[in-house]
Amino acid sequence: MSSNNNSDKGTRNLVIGMVVFIVLVGAIFSFVSNKSSTTAKVPSSVSSAEGYGIVLNPNATPKIDIYIDYQCPICKNFEIINGGYIAEVAANAKAKVVVHPMTFIGAESILAANAAACAADEGKFLDMNIALFQNQAGTENSGLWTGDYMKRLGNSIGLKSKSFEKCVTDGTYVDWTKNVAKASADANVNSTPTVKLNGKEIDRNTQYMDPVKFKAALAAAGVK
Amino acid sequence: MQSKFVAAQPWLSLIFRLTLGTVLLVAGYLKAINLQKSAMAVRAYEMLPVSVANLFGHVLPWFEIAIGALLIIGAAVKISAALGGFTMLMFIVAISQAWARGLSIDCGCFGGGGTVAPDQTKYLEEILRDFGLMLMAFFLYRFPKGRFGLDK
Repeated sequence: MSSNNNSDKGTRNLVIGMVVFIVLVGAIFSFVSNKSSTTAKVPSSVSSAEGYGIVLNPNATPKIDIYIDYQCPICKNFEIINGGYIAEVAANAKAKVVVHPMTFIGAESILAANAAACAADEGKFLDMNIALFQNQAGTENSGLWTGDYMKRLGNSIGLKSKSFEKCVTDGTYVDWTKNVAKASADANVNSTPTVKLNGKEIDRNTQYMDPVKFKAALAAAGVK
Repeated sequence: MQSKFVAAQPWLSLIFRLTLGTVLLVAGYLKAINLQKSAMAVRAYEMLPVSVANLFGHVLPWFEIAIGALLIIGAAVKISAALGGFTMLMFIVAISQAWARGLSIDCGCFGGGGTVAPDQTKYLEEILRDFGLMLMAFFLYRFPKGRFGLDK
């Protein structure tokens, strides 16, 4: 009887040990795989000092940080409302614009961010940025966005070079998206879109989805 | 009355173990498949320094999975129930402070999380649910021995 009890106890301890072990391995593995990588390839327009964001007009002031996920529907609305003005500000070098493509919605966000980075290397980041939002699927990770889809999308805005296609196919900047994620997390970004002017977030309740108030916020920060 | 409770208690313990265990296991799994989002959900409570919140967001899902699995199997029920109950208490405190401070966040209990529109918050039902789960944990701590458990 007592030996039976002992073997019961042994089984129980073994089970507890196994559960704890498996979970620990999972935790350590996931933690390591989400760490930012110093060896990740980054697009030429990316600055690690700017949270690995894609930087337009590096020498202009003020600074506008925009955190988005290409699959986030509110980001699409934000882009429709304010994207034209942001593009104008960027094109006329009225501000330093730093776009941080976050990827917490999943695999297709990573595909899109990689393609946007590939487009940035060809000087067509903003065009690709808009094209991605315009072609957002209705549901997250629906299967619509694939490598081939990204190539066709790039093609449609004039990105026909071999280097762009290779960059999309190879997923050259996939590791870079982890760096963006890590830096955005460290910057306490809890929602997309998040817009910061000179490092300070604009008012979530009023200034995001109203083009007049958004413009006014930028003007107050020094965008002429 | 007393004997009725004695007869029912092992079954109650089983039901509570499976309920609390399944909720924790599912909640942990849904968080573990998107740890970026999990860390984001923790940050949105604005309770912890950012680096601590990020670490917590990565560790909590696995902690929940471990406790959930142990409760379902019925191994180390007393300690698992104590930890599960403490976790629920922590959630209740966190959600309450978010509510009181007027933050508008999703609790991120089952994945998701982060800042949401003010009319999309569900603080009361989240607190009530966690309170119910906490009561189950208390019961299991007091009466850990139930049907079909590994603990003897």
